[in-house]
Amino acid sequence: MPDAGNVTVLGLDTSDPANVYAIRSQAGMVFQNPDDQIVASVIENDVAFGPENLGVAPSELRARVTAALAQVGLQGFEKKQTESLSGGQKQRVAVAGVLAMEPKILVLDEASAMLDPRGRVGLLRVCHELNEAGLTIVLITHFMEEAAQADRVIVLESGRVALDGAPEDVFTQIDRLRELALDIPFSAHLSRSLRARGVPVSVHADEGGLQRELVGLLSPDAGAMSAESKCMPDADRTPEGDDRRPLVEFERVSFTYQPISQKKHRLSRTAPAAERADWGRSPNEYWALKDLTFSIREGEFLGIAGHTGSGKSTLIQLANGLLQPTEGSVRIRGASLADRKAAVEARRDVGVVFQYPERQLFAATVYDDVAFGPRNLGFSSGEVDEAVRNAMELVHLDIDELRDRNPFGLSGGQQRRVAFAGVLAMQPRALVLDEPVAGLDPQAKRSFLALLEELHREQDMSVVVVSHNMDDLATMCDRVLVLNEGELFALDVPERIFADEERLRSVGLGVPHASHFVNVLAKGGIRLPVSSLPTLDELADALAGACEGTHAEATRVGASGEGAF
Amino acid sequence: MSTNAMFGRYWEADSPIHRLDPRTKIVGTALLVVTVFCAGNFTALAAVAVFTVGMFALARIPFLQALRSIAPLTFIIVLTALFNLFYVQGGTVYLDWGWLRISQEGVRQALFVAVRLTLLLLSGSLLTLTTTSLDITEALEQLLSPLARIGVPAHEFSLVMGIALRFLPQFVDEFQTIRAAQLARGAKLATSPVKGGLSGLTSLLVPLFASAFRHADTLSAAMDARCYHGAMGRTRLNPLRFARADTVALAALVALLVACIVLSIAPRMPI
Repeated sequence: MPDAGNVTVLGLDTSDPANVYAIRSQAGMVFQNPDDQIVASVIENDVAFGPENLGVAPSELRARVTAALAQVGLQGFEKKQTESLSGGQKQRVAVAGVLAMEPKILVLDEASAMLDPRGRVGLLRVCHELNEAGLTIVLITHFMEEAAQADRVIVLESGRVALDGAPEDVFTQIDRLRELALDIPFSAHLSRSLRARGVPVSVHADEGGLQRELVGLLSPDAGAMSAESKCMPDADRTPEGDDRRPLVEFERVSFTYQPISQKKHRLSRTAPAAERADWGRSPNEYWALKDLTFSIREGEFLGIAGHTGSGKSTLIQLANGLLQPTEGSVRIRGASLADRKAAVEARRDVGVVFQYPERQLFAATVYDDVAFGPRNLGFSSGEVDEAVRNAMELVHLDIDELRDRNPFGLSGGQQRRVAFAGVLAMQPRALVLDEPVAGLDPQAKRSFLALLEELHREQDMSVVVVSHNMDDLATMCDRVLVLNEGELFALDVPERIFADEERLRSVGLGVPHASHFVNVLAKGGIRLPVSSLPTLDELADALAGACEGTHAEATRVGASGEGAF
Repeated sequence: MSTNAMFGRYWEADSPIHRLDPRTKIVGTALLVVTVFCAGNFTALAAVAVFTVGMFALARIPFLQALRSIAPLTFIIVLTALFNLFYVQGGTVYLDWGWLRISQEGVRQALFVAVRLTLLLLSGSLLTLTTTSLDITEALEQLLSPLARIGVPAHEFSLVMGIALRFLPQFVDEFQTIRAAQLARGAKLATSPVKGGLSGLTSLLVPLFASAFRHADTLSAAMDARCYHGAMGRTRLNPLRFARADTVALAALVALLVACIVLSIAPRMPI
């Protein structure tokens, strides 16, 4: 409730206690963490929880549950266990739980922040459908691409409304957005770059609008001037660093979470052929990783992509001996991790930063938390002190200021840096990070990624990053490994990995924005002379060039341009 | 995924036993437990055993799986049986090793206790194999509801139990991640519990508790947002229904109880 002033929801004053349940049932909330808001173990009971509290008659409850699940695209899921769902599905169950209360407003509080791209797209689609059906949707988000899909955008800054208007009006104020430390939607950024190059487009907040305008501007044969050879993956860029020595080698690694006894049981009961047939298909798949061979090289920046459940987390834990492969072997600098001692050594060489590392903070002071690793390694107190100091310096935190502070009292971004310092304090040669920027706001995210690049460049560290963000992977990585259902789907330089959008889409992944934009225009008949992995500026240059071409062409005879296609 | 039955885990099937009102199953299990304790000789126990096996058949649970479900608890049976074997004396002595002596009465008693405990565990297992945790909590709430009038928070009790069951798998997951993360930082959790000792333990427990509080915070906000305000005026998606099958089941159990009592005292009757 406000300290001053009034908040009214659908004409009801929130400060009047009598209105509480009327308001809560009309304005439903979905929260950030899908695991925190599901009350029951069985889906239908969770969806029914709200209307049950409202005292809806049992006969009507059933109908409401069925309808709500259908609205979020989960019909037939009534009896399933909530724990068996993916993050995206859980959020849709949470939405269904709100819908079953028949609200007028749906508020999503960073509801997509913890989802993978697939889950996020699904949730957004549901929101669009509900909105078309007449529901008011309030979406709180750090993702500007999501905000750009709204009818109206409000930007808050330290408790005040900074911007308020249609997406086209808000996202075109690029300098103001930069000031507010927000991301700028790709299309707004591109349209501005185009205007700066003299292309007369209006500034768009959504990609579709910009694409349509560009297609209108460029007649399909305008791009005929393109040098098609440039569209091919650059032949001169062989996988970089072939000469670099391998640091971590995976050789024919397979892993299953099922205990050995059950494996034997299973193998003895089922024919191997039958088992092979359903590998990678059933949801309760047997192998978490299957027959994986690759190596992480000294000093390289390797990206790992793959949707949830593709085996990324398992891979990370295998890379430093936390898990032992069921079949095959993992070696660090040639030493097999099957040997216990080697595995302990290896843990020092390969530092692992898990998802949301700040959740593993535990000590009473920042110093003690960062010192945990070095102390476990048996460093003398002088060495511990030096290790902590160095690690804090590497993550740009001031040890003298923070040493006695309680880590739980720091900001989210700082907590993550402290947790990261705790890994760096062990002086690893390689870093493996599982979605290092998940859940951070745009500014914290950018500076954390910059920090990783700096460690890579200046400390010559091997860095392995698991990420859902294709733009980040494309700009930062020397090579990208794509996992699908526990198998190696592709491993190559980003230029070649992102050259085939269709193929990546087939495993639930996408390509960087600029590449996608180029591909969409190509479908519209406009081919641009760009490299296989264009940056935004390169794309803008090519588009500007094509526009000039069109104008020049328009004065000549059109027929000559057609031949090149 | 495991296809084996486990004590406390639900065995999905559509059977007359699965369809019974969970309240019937809880009361029925209680009756069965009482019956097992009333069975004073092997004849009576045999009757209960036949009945129990019949129930598993009716529930479409293979008997081997039924036994497997209580396998982790076998040590209780073995320990108790051994205790009786050495402690109870009488009749012919089979083995005499100084302080260790096994006699006829001890063997008889050990066997008797082993069978009795097996039947007890099986009847408990039958309840959890055929009833979802949610049904059990709801049934408990209703069975306890008369106590609510004298101030026992029956509804809250069952809600807490339901939420605990819902969060259990999640805490197991989180615990594993925390453990992996601390191991990665060289925590000596597995190698030497003494050396890794206190700091190792706090490195696991503090994050786990922090996470539990974080979950609790949001969960309570989420429940508030969905208008939760206690049991008053709440309706239910699946109201429990007491059907004819339930009457039959309870009648059968009462009959079994009576039969057991009769069988247990029959040999001593003068006829």
